[in-house]
Amino acid sequence: MTQRRLLNIALAASALCAIVPAASAQQIYIPLISKGFQHQFWQAVKSGADQAAKDYKVTVTFEGPETEAMVDKQIDMLAAALAKNPKAIGFAALDSQAATPLLKKAQAAHIPVVAFDSGVDSDIPVTTATTNNKAAAALAADKLAALIGSEGEVAVVAHDQTSRTGVDRRDGFVERIKASYPKIKIVSLQYGGGDQLKSTEVTKSILQAYPNLKGIFGTNEGSAIGVVNGVREMKRKVVIIGYDSGKQQKDAIRDGTMAGAITQNPVGIGYKTVEAAVKALKGETLPKVIDTGFYWYDKTNIADPKIAAVLYD
Amino acid sequence: MTASNPTPLVSIRHLSKSFAGVAALQDCQFELLPGEVHALMGENGAGKSTLMKVLAGVYQKDAGELLLDGRAIEIDSPRAAQALGIGIVHQELNLMNHLSAAQNIFIGREPRRGFGLFVDDDALDAQARRIFERMHLDLDPRTLVGTLTVARQQMVEIAKALSFDSRLLILDEPTAALNNDEVADLFRIIRQLKAQGVGIVYISHRMDELQQIADRVTVMRDGRYIATLPMAGTSVEHIIGLMVGRELAAMVNDPPDTSRNEVVLEVRGLNRGSAIRDVNFSLRQGEILGFAGLMGAGRTEVARAVFGADRIDAGEIRVRGAKVAIKSPADAVAHGIGYLSEDRKHFGLAVGLDVETNIALASMRQFVTLGGFVDAAATRNAAERFVERLHIKTPSVEQQVARLSGGNQQKIVISKWLLRDCDILFFDEPTRGIDVGAKAEIYKLLNALAAEGKAIVMISSELPEVLAMSHRVVVMCEGRITGELRGAELTQEKIMQLATQRQRSDQPATRPEEPLTAA
Amino acid sequence: MTAHLIVNTIITDHLAAPQPGKLAALKQILFKPATRQKMLAFASLLALLVFFSVASPNFLQYGNMVGILQSTAVNGVLAIACTFVIITAGIDLSVGTMMTFCSVMAGVVLTYWGMPLPLGIAAAILFGTLCGFVNGVLIAKLKIPPFIATLGMMMLLKGLSLVISGTRPIYFNSTPEFPVISQESLIGYFVPALPIPNAVLIMFVVAAIASIVLNKTLVGRYTFALGSNEEAVRLSGVNVAFWKIVVYSISGAICGIAGLLIASRLNSAQPALGQGYELDAIAAVVIGGTSLSGGTGTILGTIIGAFIMSVLTNGLRIMSVAQEWQTVLTGLIIILAVYTDILRRGKS
Repeated sequence: MTQRRLLNIALAASALCAIVPAASAQQIYIPLISKGFQHQFWQAVKSGADQAAKDYKVTVTFEGPETEAMVDKQIDMLAAALAKNPKAIGFAALDSQAATPLLKKAQAAHIPVVAFDSGVDSDIPVTTATTNNKAAAALAADKLAALIGSEGEVAVVAHDQTSRTGVDRRDGFVERIKASYPKIKIVSLQYGGGDQLKSTEVTKSILQAYPNLKGIFGTNEGSAIGVVNGVREMKRKVVIIGYDSGKQQKDAIRDGTMAGAITQNPVGIGYKTVEAAVKALKGETLPKVIDTGFYWYDKTNIADPKIAAVLYD
Repeated sequence: MTASNPTPLVSIRHLSKSFAGVAALQDCQFELLPGEVHALMGENGAGKSTLMKVLAGVYQKDAGELLLDGRAIEIDSPRAAQALGIGIVHQELNLMNHLSAAQNIFIGREPRRGFGLFVDDDALDAQARRIFERMHLDLDPRTLVGTLTVARQQMVEIAKALSFDSRLLILDEPTAALNNDEVADLFRIIRQLKAQGVGIVYISHRMDELQQIADRVTVMRDGRYIATLPMAGTSVEHIIGLMVGRELAAMVNDPPDTSRNEVVLEVRGLNRGSAIRDVNFSLRQGEILGFAGLMGAGRTEVARAVFGADRIDAGEIRVRGAKVAIKSPADAVAHGIGYLSEDRKHFGLAVGLDVETNIALASMRQFVTLGGFVDAAATRNAAERFVERLHIKTPSVEQQVARLSGGNQQKIVISKWLLRDCDILFFDEPTRGIDVGAKAEIYKLLNALAAEGKAIVMISSELPEVLAMSHRVVVMCEGRITGELRGAELTQEKIMQLATQRQRSDQPATRPEEPLTAA
Repeated sequence: MTAHLIVNTIITDHLAAPQPGKLAALKQILFKPATRQKMLAFASLLALLVFFSVASPNFLQYGNMVGILQSTAVNGVLAIACTFVIITAGIDLSVGTMMTFCSVMAGVVLTYWGMPLPLGIAAAILFGTLCGFVNGVLIAKLKIPPFIATLGMMMLLKGLSLVISGTRPIYFNSTPEFPVISQESLIGYFVPALPIPNAVLIMFVVAAIASIVLNKTLVGRYTFALGSNEEAVRLSGVNVAFWKIVVYSISGAICGIAGLLIASRLNSAQPALGQGYELDAIAAVVIGGTSLSGGTGTILGTIIGAFIMSVLTNGLRIMSVAQEWQTVLTGLIIILAVYTDILRRGKS
């Protein structure tokens, strides 16, 4: 039985060898540790990183925990990445405090850290490749205002109040409305955790409470889809502005349920992160933030190749 | 036996016990003297185990008196019985296979140390060793019970009962799994205990053993006390007569002569471990063949083996003269063999489903149309036809089977097999759990089926039923067929005699419910 | 690294006491089926270590080894909690969110209420015991099947964690000594060359104590007995409900310790974390040779199982195997482990 077990392990091991990527001892190795892995957004980031790896002839790996709650698993990944003696690291922290000790280690070993997406709340990273979420949300506010004639009641279904993206998008929208649209009132600001179902329920409660509501802004894909579902189920006419993409949002925009959405440039985020890492290794100085851009898209330009390139399914 | 008029160790008077309205014990009595080995005998269902379980605190009596040393007592739990010095070794073993012998014996009474938190394993083993020495049992107390043979597991159970310093020991079928040497060991221990004044109740069917070891014998029948006799000088026939002697129901056995009908089923050399030993029998068309014997005799095993529900070691089965290979129930059914198990709720019916589905259960292929759909109209029709033909009392074929009475449930199972065109039917305890009125209907049905030409094997532990219904009776004992009876020689006494006729040379049966497991 | 501990636990960690004559005793112990299973698991672990060392030079580095130890600590402690319950032929799906709940309660006590550190530690363990107690009552008194009862508790505790913490992490910055529990190194204090994090030390201490409890105390005895044949235990006059509740309470207390470890590692109580961790814990228990049908099991086996999982995950990461494949392989190993166990039992 011992032999059998060992044989089985040996078989599994040889299967492994087929999967291990080709020899990369010569190339510069840059691991990216992301906040997530399965979601299409992160896969888009990964594809951008892979593209940059090809262009700059470096080796890149991309990993992230199954859910954004698994802070300790992300720390394990970061530790394992450091153990491989990378030349640089890309990192998007789930919890900046928890990651700081390891980032300090990287700094001590002269491994430049390039933050991406929501980044890291620390001055260790040499730069952060990210969307200017506040400005993006402000653009959403502008678009919503234009579509409802700059007056009326609106609501926000946000995803959370602890992450940078959650806080920035919420604040960006709210501040823009307050500053530029005095006749628009934000009557409700609720959190759906980015979960479609929860956001649906939240939306329905908002619609129930405010019969005159004219518009709703969903601050990420899950929230926006929840808003669409809620509005559909309550059969109300409301202007919906979404965020990011994904098949359901794209379909909603095409069929008119959603007025439009703000998309980030996930592929650009991935690409620019690797590019920044390469530049840092060359000794170039980098700006504090690399703005990877955001775009407004609606029925009219969703098929535009420039826009389509940054949308994911 | 000691001086005349000794105080009985235990005395049971006017004891009654019912389960869910059905009387299991009625007005029973029993008496045990110190230092006596008292055999308790009776057919299956006579109430022997039940009576002893009341004494051991597993069941609580409904009426009657229990006296210990002449004082009236109440026994309301197994622990209470243990405290009174009553020990019991059940027929089914109650051991924890993953623990050692010593740990099993002292579960709940472990010697402790360290503020009562830690178990003193050394003391535990030492105490167990002492008991084993008393029993002259060569067993390491640290052996895991799961690795022991069934015989030695039983020894551990006996040791456990002894460890309570019992004054009274109840042994329920203790030798079922023991070979001759082990039986001799057991008897040695029993005699030792006798000498120490311990009273022993010995439940068993094995006449030869009882003649060796018992002082007196008490016979029970149908939940009642019949008689107590001294073992020495009492003939086996007399005891058997007391066990079965009852007024037979008015049903008269007058079967048609089927002895020259075509043989539809022939079984030769059927063997399965020690459960089925070299069984041969044949079944003719239109015949009701009764299978009599005690519980565990192997009758159900034979039926299941022929039906393909269990694998066999050897044997040849011929259906209408042609040799067949039956490896699964599907094969059996394909050859027209059906089996109604004794536990219809678990093995015969899907109690949560309706009448229609249950009747169609074995014949679904017939009702499937192109595309895999079930023709509901057809199944309903078929079900309704049987409801009418067998007079099944149900509001509709959509009624949930669980809500119907036992008799009607049984008819549904029969319908299932009839719909499948099975003409060789094994009925295992067909009227168990069915009231008298429904029983009569089932009997009528069986006779009608036989008259139609179906061949029926009827396994039954109810002697009146066997006598009244069977054209011919095969009797089994411990896996062997001990005899075949018909006509004038078909009497209760003869059946019981054949049912207890053991072959001393046989190795003990292994109990199928207790597979040996390692840690 | 802990050869002496391993040998000791092998000797204490089975059901028969050694006979006089140490060599004969050792031989007897080594060839028992239970020990053979542990040897198997241990051999598999060694095989994995050897394989990964060969496959990548970065694997056997000191820093990475410490990383493996660190990442095993929490799962190892959770798996120890599960071991008790699984030996009784039960299951506990709530261990993951129970751990989180305990860390949140520590957060409440230390950060919200500003209490001193020992109270926070006590709170985590106390609430764990309480949750375990509730599990035990649901299962033993209300007769709810363990799968359902603990499934319900898992969701309940997940929700409670989010409610109490206001869905945001509770940081322990106001209790500067808090990270010491997981991150500092007591061993490193005495042996500077070996700065092994305290979390690992705590895991091994918990393992040692759990092993002693399981094999030497009355609670442990009843744990095995209940899993082996609960009916026989009942018929022997033992209060089955009481002891079941005790076992689940112990399991809960150990989850409380796990809660402290993870909170201390991240210096925060993360309320959304935890769901899904129970599966890793149960996997570790099963890989380590404990049968889900109860009656048998060892703490040592569980620890080895936990290490097999973390070594596997880490090794694959070091080899830069794509993340998708990592979980595929871990799943395969679990199936293999259970299947091997079934074969072994079937043979004997």
